[in-house]
Amino acid sequence: MSKFKKSTRGDVPGMNTSSLPDIVFMLLFFFMVATTTKEMDPTVEVVSPKGTMSTDMTPYKQRSEIDFAYLGKPRNPARSSQFKYGYALSLDNVLNENPDGLYATAQIGPWKKAKFDGKPTKMLAPIEEVITCIKADKTAPSGLIFDIRKELQKIEAFKIAYAVRDGSSGAN
Amino acid sequence: MSKRSIPEINAGSMADIAFLLLIFFLVTTTMDRDQAYIRYIPKPILDPRPQPPVEERNLLAIKANSNNQILIRNEIVDMENISEKVLRFYQANEKKNEAFEFPFYSRTPKSVITDNIKRVEKQLKELEEQDAAEEFIVAKEQELDGWIGKRDALALYGGDVLPEISFQASIRIEVSNTTQYEVFVKIQSEIEEAISILRDKEAKRLFNTPYAVLKRKNSLDATGMDEIEKLDLLDVLYPARIIEVTPKR
Repeated sequence: MSKFKKSTRGDVPGMNTSSLPDIVFMLLFFFMVATTTKEMDPTVEVVSPKGTMSTDMTPYKQRSEIDFAYLGKPRNPARSSQFKYGYALSLDNVLNENPDGLYATAQIGPWKKAKFDGKPTKMLAPIEEVITCIKADKTAPSGLIFDIRKELQKIEAFKIAYAVRDGSSGAN
Repeated sequence: MSKRSIPEINAGSMADIAFLLLIFFLVTTTMDRDQAYIRYIPKPILDPRPQPPVEERNLLAIKANSNNQILIRNEIVDMENISEKVLRFYQANEKKNEAFEFPFYSRTPKSVITDNIKRVEKQLKELEEQDAAEEFIVAKEQELDGWIGKRDALALYGGDVLPEISFQASIRIEVSNTTQYEVFVKIQSEIEEAISILRDKEAKRLFNTPYAVLKRKNSLDATGMDEIEKLDLLDVLYPARIIEVTPKR
């Protein structure tokens, strides 16, 4: 005769999952804000050396005032004999000349020029303002850096950047 | 009209869609920021005449050979100690010109700067009246800009004299063709560290702001005008004139 009906079955009530999308969206937005898109997967092996007090390139990236070029040993060892010192440049496929994107250092001039000419006119910073960021492997010979500088000097792209891994924190 | 109830939309798949987007962004993006040292390649020299020689005390020659050993002013130096040498190069004569093997400082008084601005402005006007050749006018305009820059720097610096390191003082990096990139970058890193220490000290003293903050603010601004005056002053006080020599062998 009790007023409270005792539930006879021992079922666990289903969990309310209506807030799950909110949580996942929150994660999504966090990752959208905190990360940047990959430029490309280079076809050369690059381990950047460490350096302190370097400049953050993100603002230049957001303004598309930067081109990345990778310098290292080709991932395909058979290709390395064709290049000076065995180190090749990996450029994105603007020139469309070979499928694996490996080029000799002298090719950086035409590549940069083609990339610059392909940009829409409204976002045209002058070519001497567009940074060429060289991501070189730590074992790469410095002579190649100067070969690249010579090529860039010819097309008057005077702003160059040497990429490093940030070592300021001293954690690793 | 009978009241019809609208059936609720099933939002159960919303989480799945959001997960899909999340995983897409996780895969296509990277967390690490790109860090680099920005350098300027000099314009090609078209003038075949030899350049005037630079006094030895105004040059800090840093050399690296193919065995990754470093030589500064004919002295073998450990890689970690490059920044100390750079600091010494800038600070040796900062208070008083007493060390003869390091670049001298000039202390230009305010009156000299204002006099020079007046003088150059007058000369520029004369040149324009005479219809002089374009290159003379451009050279004069550059001279005028230089003095105006010094006036603005001094106004921000405060006081009556602007201490300036010799205009020839520069750091010269000479590597060999087969020096590893790691060593080349280490030299750049050490120079940057030394200059940052010097500029940071002045930035904190003058503007109560760390140098890194000023730099960051400036790079975030597309027009680059935000903190440019302060950065210009620091650049006048401790100029980073880095010469990178193309290796011959």
